[in-house]
Amino acid sequence: MTDPRSPLTDDDIALAGEYVLGTLDLATRQDVTRRIHVDADFAREVARWETHFDPLADEVRPITPPARVWTDVERRLFGLPAGKISVWGWFAGASGLATAVLAAVLWLGQPLPPAPGPLWISDMVSEDGSVRLAALYDEASGEMRVSMGGAAPAEGRDFELWLIQGDGAPISLGVMPHQGQAAMPIPANLTALVANATLAITEEPAGGSPTGVATGPLVAAAALRRI
Amino acid sequence: MAVQTEELAGLLARVALKDRAAFAALYSALSPKLFAICLRLLKDRREAEDALQEVFVKIWNNADRYLPDVASPAAWMNAVARNHAIDRLRARRNAAVGLEAADAVPDPTPGPEAAAITRSEGRRIEACLDALEPARAEAVRRAYVEGDSYQELAERFAVPLNTMRSWLRRSLLQLRECLSP
Repeated sequence: MTDPRSPLTDDDIALAGEYVLGTLDLATRQDVTRRIHVDADFAREVARWETHFDPLADEVRPITPPARVWTDVERRLFGLPAGKISVWGWFAGASGLATAVLAAVLWLGQPLPPAPGPLWISDMVSEDGSVRLAALYDEASGEMRVSMGGAAPAEGRDFELWLIQGDGAPISLGVMPHQGQAAMPIPANLTALVANATLAITEEPAGGSPTGVATGPLVAAAALRRI
Repeated sequence: MAVQTEELAGLLARVALKDRAAFAALYSALSPKLFAICLRLLKDRREAEDALQEVFVKIWNNADRYLPDVASPAAWMNAVARNHAIDRLRARRNAAVGLEAADAVPDPTPGPEAAAITRSEGRRIEACLDALEPARAEAVRRAYVEGDSYQELAERFAVPLNTMRSWLRRSLLQLRECLSP
């Protein structure tokens, strides 16, 4: 019954199955874990069992975990200081739903198109954490969606969004809403510049920079990353 | 909402390249399922939260070990969650069980093959479990879903621990035969 191409014995196959079921005691599990790391055939056998049994997990119905779990994961892996909330945590907190679906789906407020183009995101947080802006760009539609959170600009001022490609001068993408979401179509002559660009927000006079060049202080900036 | 396998595969591949945005998207898509798996096994909300944190640290660190030709991305991540939760369970209940090493168990001989194998996608495990004696299928399910140890299964089915293990290993080999392409 053993696959002739596999050097594994029935004993090995049963052991891999016991490991996946979880019935082994801790010491034996640790032995098996070590073997998985050094024995590729055995590792594949374990993966096969995991795949075979996986449909049994269908009966376990999803339960949204508290937002602090993600905050702790990020802090542990990336050392983000508390208070700087990533776009994902922010939306999870804001909507209470985000952890159930791809954040990008929520983001658009609707399912992704059947064949979405490459997507780019940028989440910008000001130094003191008071201003947050998230941007999602869909290459296929050429549309950038932005969402503002946190503090509004000073009285009589607006936040302006800039695209910076390489060493090029910042190009204005327009004035941001003080709160909430907005769709900003990217002009066709700029779409080629979006990939891997940096987005930045500055505080400008109401209505945006009068000169087309950023004049106000830089509030936040972050690179667009492909997702 | 089910996230498509191809989407998950793409995200997992990017996580292997240390793409944090892909990792965040993966967390959004899968954390409710993985949290439920941890909670079902550990039966303690606080510990399940700690376990889920560890699980995502492992996914970030080990995404390059995923074998796309053997497992779907969701199955792999479910397994990372189950394995971690079970390690915690066994650490917690370690004192209760004293199994001999695996090679001390006599080589079990598989029983005669009687199953009519269903070819329907993804549900072969159900058909193969149905081909086992009901009590043995139940033992396999309880181990997988509830995280029962050999000690707990032996008590539940009122058989000696070594008998339980022989049963289960024999059941596994029967299942393997039934599941093999």
